[in-house]
Amino acid sequence: MANPPLLQRTVANPTADAAELQRRLLAGETLLADTADHLLEVVGVLESYGEVLDAYSINLIFQAEKQFLNPFPVFRFLDGDLNPAKIWRHLNHDRINFEYAEYCQKAMFWHGTGGLDAYLDSDAFLENCRTIIGRKRKRDPLLALLHPLFPGFLVELIRSAATTHALGQFWRVMSDLFLDLAKAERDGRVCTIEQVVEFIKDGLVAAAANPITYAVEIHGENLWVLPPEANLTFLVDVAVPYVEAVFLRGMPFLGTVSFNAQAQQISPDQASFTYGALYADPLPTMGAGIPPSLLMQDMYRHLPEKLHQWYLACTRGEGDVRVKICQSFQKSMFCVTNAAIRGTFPHALASSDPGEQQANANYAAAWAGRLAKGRTDCLGAEA
Amino acid sequence: MLTLLLLIPLLGAVGLGLWPGNPDAAMVRRAAIALLVVQLLASLRVLLAFDPGVGGMQLQEGISWLGSLGLEYRLGIDGLSMPLVLVNGALSLVAAIASRDVQARPRLYFALLLVISGAVNGAFLANNLLLFFLFYELELIPLWLLISVWGGANRAYAATKFLIFTAVSGVLILGAFLGLAFTTGSVDFSLSPVTSEHLAMASQMPLLLALLVGFGIKIPLFPFHTWLPDAHTEASTPVSVLLAGVLLKLGTYGLLRFCMGLFPQAWAELAPGLAIWAAVSVLFGSLAAIAQRDMKRMVAYSSVGHMGYVLLAAAAATPVSLLGAVFQMVSHGLISALLFLLVGAVYRATGTRDLEVLRGLLNPERGLPLTGSLMIVGVMASAGLPGMAGFISEFLVFRGSLNAFPVATLLSMVGSGLTAVYFLLLVNRAFFGRLAITPRDPQSGPIDIRLPALNLIDQLPSLALAGAVVVIGLWPASLGDISEAATNGMALMPVLLAAAGSGGLG
Repeated sequence: MANPPLLQRTVANPTADAAELQRRLLAGETLLADTADHLLEVVGVLESYGEVLDAYSINLIFQAEKQFLNPFPVFRFLDGDLNPAKIWRHLNHDRINFEYAEYCQKAMFWHGTGGLDAYLDSDAFLENCRTIIGRKRKRDPLLALLHPLFPGFLVELIRSAATTHALGQFWRVMSDLFLDLAKAERDGRVCTIEQVVEFIKDGLVAAAANPITYAVEIHGENLWVLPPEANLTFLVDVAVPYVEAVFLRGMPFLGTVSFNAQAQQISPDQASFTYGALYADPLPTMGAGIPPSLLMQDMYRHLPEKLHQWYLACTRGEGDVRVKICQSFQKSMFCVTNAAIRGTFPHALASSDPGEQQANANYAAAWAGRLAKGRTDCLGAEA
Repeated sequence: MLTLLLLIPLLGAVGLGLWPGNPDAAMVRRAAIALLVVQLLASLRVLLAFDPGVGGMQLQEGISWLGSLGLEYRLGIDGLSMPLVLVNGALSLVAAIASRDVQARPRLYFALLLVISGAVNGAFLANNLLLFFLFYELELIPLWLLISVWGGANRAYAATKFLIFTAVSGVLILGAFLGLAFTTGSVDFSLSPVTSEHLAMASQMPLLLALLVGFGIKIPLFPFHTWLPDAHTEASTPVSVLLAGVLLKLGTYGLLRFCMGLFPQAWAELAPGLAIWAAVSVLFGSLAAIAQRDMKRMVAYSSVGHMGYVLLAAAAATPVSLLGAVFQMVSHGLISALLFLLVGAVYRATGTRDLEVLRGLLNPERGLPLTGSLMIVGVMASAGLPGMAGFISEFLVFRGSLNAFPVATLLSMVGSGLTAVYFLLLVNRAFFGRLAITPRDPQSGPIDIRLPALNLIDQLPSLALAGAVVVIGLWPASLGDISEAATNGMALMPVLLAAAGSGGLG
């Protein structure tokens, strides 16, 4: 009886690849190999991701604006539509898993890097909070009781709401960008991975200076949480912290590998976390509530037909489709990261000035060092 | 009616062997499955006619065959053989269903499978020592062929070892039966007990010892077990199912029926030593299982350990322990068949059984989630968790033996605990954690796992066996009612004989 082929080596050893990654970044090459399958996977999965991000974005902005300081936000995922049929579909789980968006928001909020986080700790922000809480307490006896007892609590809720709104604005841009990418590919304007990366880079650069602002309406009065004077912008203050928190750092959720924090298996230094989407295990146990598997389920519901057919033709067809989506998703996220790095080089790559070349090389080396840290230790033969 | 249980498989084997032309393997397999379904239905028909209230042989039938030699064709069934006939019917069917990979010489393969099934039925039903011996030997050659033709890479060595060991076992058993005829001077080869009035204890002992070693090889008991792990490792999955589930039971059946049944007084003399032997076998099998890294060898060594419980129960020979022995034979038959099926499924999908290589097979998307879940059920049953067949049998064996042989029983209980140790090692290594097949070269980086999915229909036999294990665990009366009268009768036999020997029943 012949044994079927079981193993197909698709990934080279990432730990040996830092130098290669740096070379590619400096040479302007893409991190992901340019093949027809990769193009189909990346564009297709980003299209479904765009559809999902649209729903996430609408919901996050709804939560931040309409469920503001609601201590029991039971219906926060329903976007204000309390139709019994919709509630039934929600309970029956025929819906988008907005929990994943919350997970990303919490990761961003907890890791807290960049200009948004700095503003949330500023005196100007505390002043805004005082005004808002003062207005809100007038007609809300529960908050009137809570605030004197726990003076930090409502402020923290407002910080969380501000992150929620900012993430909603970020995903609004990304959703449109990914859906435009799919359209450009259908129109024949994007035919290679290189063009995908350039398309995303152009989109990010075009939106880079978009202002990030957030106001809430309390008893008919508009109050700023993130005012225009804070000068928060799309790329530096939201996109980069998002990539840092969700793509790179992430959180060590319980999955197929258990972490023992007491044994220092989780670094005490948050900055050296590598549990983000780029490193996520594509083989989750699919246990209840594991966030990346929620996202894969959401994308599965919006998969373009062409990509779906391609998945059906390989390995287990429908049986392991979420794993395949996760693998394609990681490829596409490497393209997005690739575009972000390309868009933020300190100097033009073509520069002939040795000082500028050195600065670019240092920048590329720092990124290559982070990307080369694959979480492959869990693959070892631990006893 | 009992003859039908022999005719269906044996004539079926002849029919398959004479199938004209070059039939497709799948068609031969379907025909074999149909025959085995009919055989299982016939076994169930026997169960309906069977009266569980009667302790002795019933539904007897027979004709004189070679009367001058003492070879009579006499069949009968009692509470000891009834469950084993049912297990044989069920597991032969499971083995045929699991033989979907057989492509080479399908007619011969399935004919041999049917011969084994018929011969085992014959051995369980035989009411004549020579007839039992004929059937006992009849299953030998087909099994040797099944291992040596359709086995693994090292099949010639394993098959020859199996043949030599079992042939010695057969010679010892035949020698004991003939010796019994010569020393008692009667050549009727019937199953009536031999007491010291007929035969001096000094003559009984060597005959009993020959039988003990003969059946001890088949069971197998330490130190006669070495053929079993090799045979299992090289045998294909369906053959392992038959070997562990049915053929080993010929040994324990012989122990209860012939060693204990023919020489009750000598048995009672040897019992303390046998109990220690049982404990040694249990502990050796369990400790050896812990050391294995091949899943199949681990399950094979667990058989050595678990068959030791039957010897312990037989040594104690109390009504409870003997009922426990019957339960242990049935539950071990079902559980080990289940475990071998599952190990076979893992091997089919991954191409390896190495516990150092397999990881995380319980992964729901890309692993073998159903196989893994059933494996957890199987190892829980084997370790004797309440609610499963293993618990009932081990509890009855230990409860029945504790008063008679406290030390041996306590040592065997340690062996039961060790079962949990090695099977948790197996489940933890192969099924928990992140799905991976550890690369031989640690520098080669991560590997994309592409295991083929297993069809639900291929897993139906495993599901059915797992269901049976739970049913017996939750409803032990289903099996206990069949066997209780017979095992009670067997337990009382030494007492009655002792009473008769001392001049009366009090």
